[in-house]
Amino acid sequence: MKKNRKYHIKTTGKKTLEKWFRLMTMGRILDDRAPNYLKQAIGWSYHAPFAGHDGIQLAIGQIFDREKDHLFPYYRDMLTAISAGLTAEEIIYNGISKDLDVAGGGRHMSNHFAKPEWNVHNVSSCTGNHTLHAVGVARAIKKYKTPGIAISSQGESSVSEGYVYEAINGASNEKLPVLFVFQDNGYGISVPKKDQTARRKVADNFTGFRNLKIMHCNGKDVFDSMNTMAEAREHIEEHEEPVIVQANCVRIHSHSNSDAHDLYRDDFELNYVKEYDPLAKFRRLLLRYERFTEEELDAIEEKMKEMVRKAHKAGMAAPDPSPESIHDFVIPEPYIPDKYTDGTHNYDAESKKLIQGLNETLKAEFRHNPDIYIWGQDVAHKEKGGIFNVTKGMQQEFGKERVFNAPIAEDFIMGTANGMSRFNDKIRIVVEGAEFADYFWPAMEAFVETTHDYWRSRGQFSPNITIRLASGGYIGGGLYHSQNIEGSITTFPGVRVVYPSFADDAAGLLRTCIRSRGLNFFMEPKALYNSPKAATPIPDDFEVPFGKARIRREGEDLTIITYGNTTHMCLEAALKISGEDGSGVEVIDLRSLIPLDKETILASVKKTGKVLVVHEDKVFSGFGAELAAQITDKAFEYLDGPVKRVGSTFTPVGFNRILEGAILPDTDKILKAARDLLEY
Amino acid sequence: MKKTGIVFSFNTHKTSKIAKRISEAFEDTAKVEMVNVEEIRPEQFLGYENLICGTATWFDGELPNHWDEFVPDLEDMDLKGKNIAIFGLGDQKGYPENFLDGMGILAELFEALGARLVGFTSTEGYAYESSGAERGGQFCGLGIDYETQGSKNKERVNAWVEKLKLEFR
Repeated sequence: MKKNRKYHIKTTGKKTLEKWFRLMTMGRILDDRAPNYLKQAIGWSYHAPFAGHDGIQLAIGQIFDREKDHLFPYYRDMLTAISAGLTAEEIIYNGISKDLDVAGGGRHMSNHFAKPEWNVHNVSSCTGNHTLHAVGVARAIKKYKTPGIAISSQGESSVSEGYVYEAINGASNEKLPVLFVFQDNGYGISVPKKDQTARRKVADNFTGFRNLKIMHCNGKDVFDSMNTMAEAREHIEEHEEPVIVQANCVRIHSHSNSDAHDLYRDDFELNYVKEYDPLAKFRRLLLRYERFTEEELDAIEEKMKEMVRKAHKAGMAAPDPSPESIHDFVIPEPYIPDKYTDGTHNYDAESKKLIQGLNETLKAEFRHNPDIYIWGQDVAHKEKGGIFNVTKGMQQEFGKERVFNAPIAEDFIMGTANGMSRFNDKIRIVVEGAEFADYFWPAMEAFVETTHDYWRSRGQFSPNITIRLASGGYIGGGLYHSQNIEGSITTFPGVRVVYPSFADDAAGLLRTCIRSRGLNFFMEPKALYNSPKAATPIPDDFEVPFGKARIRREGEDLTIITYGNTTHMCLEAALKISGEDGSGVEVIDLRSLIPLDKETILASVKKTGKVLVVHEDKVFSGFGAELAAQITDKAFEYLDGPVKRVGSTFTPVGFNRILEGAILPDTDKILKAARDLLEY
Repeated sequence: MKKTGIVFSFNTHKTSKIAKRISEAFEDTAKVEMVNVEEIRPEQFLGYENLICGTATWFDGELPNHWDEFVPDLEDMDLKGKNIAIFGLGDQKGYPENFLDGMGILAELFEALGARLVGFTSTEGYAYESSGAERGGQFCGLGIDYETQGSKNKERVNAWVEKLKLEFR
């Protein structure tokens, strides 16, 4: 019976009831006023009204404890944010995208309320992907044995997203303290929920999962919502397992101000959703059970109206973000090596293979910093340490808490890395993003999201993650085993991209990545893992700064700019030209694509006047296109010929070695292009 | 027959029509009073020996507001000695997972408060996946489905009222 539950209209204290009514009333006034800002061309161009979700949103905010929990609200969670403590001013600053917006100074879409300072996280518009972040931060809560839970809130339709399944599966498998809330209003914009999944209650799709409790509540009812959320929290804390709460709501208005719900809802439905107004119901209960008089409620309502009026004035007077600020917080300042400032050394010792350089650097960093973690598919099972054994021996030395396998779910690997790094800024995460670089595509959603985070939150959250990927061909691997992806990856601001060719640079760049704040994409040329060509002496403490290319061979007649596997081919071609033709070819190994060492490139171009760009990825829209364009733009007057490029054909990479050979660049192709250009 | 009341929301359309039909079916036996649950006071509810309560099921298995808001009062009542019959409205095709759940919620509440539930009916003739109103192969009241079996309403109501005449005291 309801009477036995914690919250009840007859027994809950009057102060608590007043607080709830105040929060709900203020929220509703703001929700009702939001469209006016768009009508007056002030802002708030995206507003997803919460009216009809009042009970559950009040409850989410009320059970959230900012001292220990992490809250991931979605774009309809205005009352959730208010109930969690955001003021009317903070809601309006976000709504009209002001510089004072605590979510991120107007950088993110309106109605995406957040306050990272309190762990009310700034979440994506890619709806529901924050389930992965909630799972990731819950992993940290569990590993660090701190109190608290992660609360993820979303609409029922976004549960259709595959990553939500991945998140819930992970939370269930790892028994993590996550409370997933599905606010079910029956629609995903205009799509009725029957078009999303076969069950009306999508939470029940997860009934087969172990270590997972599923609860249902009336999200329109304050007391049922409060009790259910409190009970869910207690269950998580007592049983150390996740809970799903599905809250039945109504959407009183359209999905958002770009939707017209009268196009797909009839008059009967439009009327009945209004009749089920949760705020009106709560008000009726307060009066019916004589907890408040009409006059008392009127007075609270008037007070809230006045509070919102004041907030509106503050919002209108608040400064806009400045256009000059757009380049701030794209990516945090990296770790700056103080010994190897240009990323070179004269260390003389026995050469080590590239794979050994990676393995030893990982181990050294794990010894250096106890807050580093690594996971991925296949990274740790007895003697196995990754598909190529880069992580061999790590779980034995550092334990299962720090080195562990992930399910075959790339988006989960990436998304939970994002989430776990939200726990605190000390944590450093290394993931094997996929078995092979070209298997990374399922993780792109989480990757793209992560590139936004630092900028979108205006520096309040830095995802401190290094994504390692075995990249490239020359192994007869074919599709998903031999392709390069940096041409796509380098189009995203918010990530550093490095691609070493030699063992020492691989070790030095990996160390710099791991020690840096921000997101790093670390490409490993897998054909060189065990190649004697790439083996070098490696100082134990070697570091390579970002954005420092390395001139691997000096020359006066032609500059070849390259990275990764093709560096070695370019060096072979340069040696041959020097010996056979007598021309001097300078080979620049970029090492770091973003940030790019423009200074070294331009200095070389000015010296030689001819440039050949070589990489393994496709010529068409490959990273070389950007290099060629920048050189043409900045050094046109120094050029004595066109900037030429050598790379893969505009085809997928074939499995048959004959096909692979025809597609990928090699020394002969480079040699021919270089000679053509020298003769130009 | 002792004092009998039909309790339902006067603001409903279909529930009100069924309540009226039930009242008419009782006409030759006893006068039953219509009571609006939205305005009912506890003492008024307790004033009836026999109660017929009508409810729809909202959304995916909820009690309508008009009943839900009366529940805190109901919870404080002692319903021992009361005979309560419930009729529920549902859509077995549109909402097959929660057919007549509202009736089930009320039944559970009334039983817990000591009432004697009467007017159970067979589930035969209905097709649904699950129902909170099912008790041992029977509904704990009368199931009405305007949406898909509206033509059976009259026959079902009449048969139910005849049963209630025997089971009410």
